[in-house]
Amino acid sequence: MNIQNNPSLMDQLAASYALGTLRGGARRRFETLARDNATLRAAALVWQSRLSSVAELQPQEAPSPVVWQRIENLVRADKEARAMQAARVAPGAVGWWSSLGLWRGGAAAGALATVVAVVVGLNVNGRLSGQVSELTAKLTATPEIEYVAVLTDDKASASLLVTFDPKNKTLVLKRVGNFREPPDKSLELWALPPGAGAAAKSLGVMGADSVARLNVADTDMRRVPALAITLEPKGGVPPGTAATGPLLFKGALIETPK
Amino acid sequence: MLFMKPESPDRQLIALLDRVAQADEPALRELYELTSSKLYGVAIRVVTNREWAEDVLQEAFFNIWRIAGDYKATLSPPMAWMALVVRSRGLDFLRRRASDRADLMQELDDVISDTVAGDSPNPMDTTQASEQAWALHQCLGRLEHKQREVVSLAYLRDLSHGELAEQLKLPLGTVKTWIRRGLEQLRGCMARFA
Repeated sequence: MNIQNNPSLMDQLAASYALGTLRGGARRRFETLARDNATLRAAALVWQSRLSSVAELQPQEAPSPVVWQRIENLVRADKEARAMQAARVAPGAVGWWSSLGLWRGGAAAGALATVVAVVVGLNVNGRLSGQVSELTAKLTATPEIEYVAVLTDDKASASLLVTFDPKNKTLVLKRVGNFREPPDKSLELWALPPGAGAAAKSLGVMGADSVARLNVADTDMRRVPALAITLEPKGGVPPGTAATGPLLFKGALIETPK
Repeated sequence: MLFMKPESPDRQLIALLDRVAQADEPALRELYELTSSKLYGVAIRVVTNREWAEDVLQEAFFNIWRIAGDYKATLSPPMAWMALVVRSRGLDFLRRRASDRADLMQELDDVISDTVAGDSPNPMDTTQASEQAWALHQCLGRLEHKQREVVSLAYLRDLSHGELAEQLKLPLGTVKTWIRRGLEQLRGCMARFA
């Protein structure tokens, strides 16, 4: 059938195309025709524009205030990341995360942390997304928890979930990935410094269990932009010294609504 | 002039989107306050669950923050453009979930049957809607409730005739007829607003 001589059929097909109910072979034939036929193309565009307003006409409902807080976290992290990218000079020969000098450059560390925050926010992988929603739900239900972090490896796979309960001054680390350190090594948790010129602070060492609870002062957690895990000799580095091993996981510390 | 004419919602939103494109955070906040209830409503209709809809709204606004500069290139009213961002994040969300969970369709099924069964006279909300939406609202208002619902759901959730028939437990022929008649009536009606 030659639809080009049938304006009413052309319009009907354009409407089904825009609505999305024209499917399969019929849809492909329509697209082929529309590429050669300006009238058909225009009809499809008119319908797409008309129907786009369907979305505008749905009943309203106010979302929970938590949503804005989450958006704000993401936006702030994104702004910092952009600012850092603009300010960043060509990276030198020193590996970013293997260099501890970097950790003392709080701003640079913040930038990486924010990249991680953005990745978390974008929910790049379904599993991570589920964990973040789960955590958020848990946090809403448990007002004592004030901070949360999802520590990920360099492929953005979640490896550790961290929550901080200021009432009990307990940091809970939960393994979620498959990573297991060698028996002669330990995972050590570090709080990245809030500003330039300060050093990363060790928060403790994880045992071999899948969950670890570390006692920390809430002053240790305040204004910390991100947490990181390094691989250290069994039992961790001597108190007051800097990390020696490679950085395995990192993630932004996100303050949760109270 | 002492008294300024109140800005049309469209112009106000376009000005805000412009500022958001310049990474103006307070503008995003203002945009959120003006539109989040409407857009959350869209998200709920697409994903059918308030908790998921919050995730979708969050993703959509972060997306708007990043791509507000693209708005200029479109000819859509600003609210329609933002609603499409929400719809598309919502559909992505459903696809991600569908791959996780086989029982999603069952859940959707129940919710949609409820939606369509409840024969409320006119659930549409035109607050903050563009003029174009107002015209569509007038025209959709002339359809029977069920026809309107089927057309809206086909669009919002990107469902085929077959999927609609299955989820609404209606014969395929009925769905096809309702959609065809709905679109025909819209066509006659919208032509008058063109």
